[in-house]
Amino acid sequence: MGKTLRELRPVRVVGIGLHRYQRMSETTFVTLGLTAVREALADAGLAWRDIESVYNGTALLGLASTRPMLRHLGASGIPMTQVENASASGSTAFAQACLEVASGISDVVLAMGVDKPAPLAIAGSKTGIRDLVGSRVAPFTHFALLTNEYMHRHGVRPEQVAQVAVKNSQNGAANPYAQRQKARTLEEVLAPPQISGALTRLQCCPIGEGAAAVIVASDDAIARLGLESARAPRVLASVTRTERVYPGAKNFDAELTSETTSLAYEQAGIGPQDLDLIECHDAFAIEELLYVEAMGLCGEGEGAGMLANGDTAIGGRCAVSPSGGLLAMGHPIGPTGAGQICELTRQLRGEAGARQQPDARTGLAHMVGIGAVCVVHVLQAG
Amino acid sequence: MPERRAAHPGLYPASGEHPPLLGQRCAGCGHVAFPPNPYGCESCGAEPDALESRELAGAGELAAFATVHLHMGKGIEAPFTVGVVVLDDGPAVRATLTCPTDEGLRIGDRVQSVLVSQGSDDDGNETVELRFAPLGASDGGAS
Repeated sequence: MGKTLRELRPVRVVGIGLHRYQRMSETTFVTLGLTAVREALADAGLAWRDIESVYNGTALLGLASTRPMLRHLGASGIPMTQVENASASGSTAFAQACLEVASGISDVVLAMGVDKPAPLAIAGSKTGIRDLVGSRVAPFTHFALLTNEYMHRHGVRPEQVAQVAVKNSQNGAANPYAQRQKARTLEEVLAPPQISGALTRLQCCPIGEGAAAVIVASDDAIARLGLESARAPRVLASVTRTERVYPGAKNFDAELTSETTSLAYEQAGIGPQDLDLIECHDAFAIEELLYVEAMGLCGEGEGAGMLANGDTAIGGRCAVSPSGGLLAMGHPIGPTGAGQICELTRQLRGEAGARQQPDARTGLAHMVGIGAVCVVHVLQAG
Repeated sequence: MPERRAAHPGLYPASGEHPPLLGQRCAGCGHVAFPPNPYGCESCGAEPDALESRELAGAGELAAFATVHLHMGKGIEAPFTVGVVVLDDGPAVRATLTCPTDEGLRIGDRVQSVLVSQGSDDDGNETVELRFAPLGASDGGAS
């Protein structure tokens, strides 16, 4: 019988850092990454020589991106590994870092993500298996189809779905690291350009550049290095799943999230009612409604009502994407999952300022990647 | 002799009023799939020799639709409409619909396959593409 993360030695997040997510610019990935890593080291009160191993989530930079960036911190010879897991690359880098500390192999590990926009080369399009639509159905059209199906099934109107983007734009407006920092009205969110189906531009996440860094450590290292354990949330669960064959014509996105989240609850010994906040994969507005239902925060079809009641706003029962989520903070691919951990940590420390979820103790980070893969982590205040 | 070719060879025949989709059934577990693959069964892992060709009737029900304004696909200009069709023979497939916009479409509408001409080359060979037409809608077909 295998073990879960929870059954190994405790892993805590001791440092976080970000480079703001932004539109593509002349800034090199080296500057993006170093900015995030230096901020994380300063936040933790650690020196670069304290880091024993690195996992770097990146999908678009090309081969071997980590050392050309991190050598400028002093080439210490430590293991560095790039991690590609589609949109969940940064989440998987974090998962690997947690496992390395939990297993006892290392005491202090850096998980990060860095990317700049580049043409996507998706292996799934090279299998030789063709379908009827090919690239006529871009990811946004996949979610436009889900939006259409959801609205029909639950009698929900396009404005109710668009409210997800309104809420998350308000959260993003209070996040200095967000790509979109402007609070939007419903009218602005619904304004053209229409991208696909009911989806307008502001209901689709911006894909830009950025970096995120998270340092995880064992209790031994926290004691030895004199770190503040009260500022170090514990990682209670780390679960990764991939898509199965689901009966009937079921929505695989929701099924996969439901399955992965259930396992994470079990591992953490909590239920959805215990969550104070969630960082959710809201690449498209409809996803937040589908996933809060799949995570058991409410029943099927009740996501729009929960949003309208303010239950998922900051200050509500469970704040969903207080960072602004992918819709407002942005989705630079590699960094996104690591950036979610930065936000959870900031919130669980009570250091999130204007976007602080009151009394946040337990948070969940959720990423989905094309393929499809789902990665969920649960963190609890230190 | 000019011939008629399917835009997606192996996924449907290039002729017929309402052509079937060329799917697959696993002899091991009974899983019915579209599109077919030469590698193995996604449901039970049976090897390719267990995967039998199976024609799936080009008829089903519309489960979702969206009018597309942006895409990187070939052979069509936006706007066009794609749908999720749950075939009477099982699988759900995503396909282009014959109607350019979703006006008048409803989830649950019956739809059927038709072949739409994509034009001919200099030798007179015509390419046809399978799309789904709402039942009762005017025939967009080339048959």
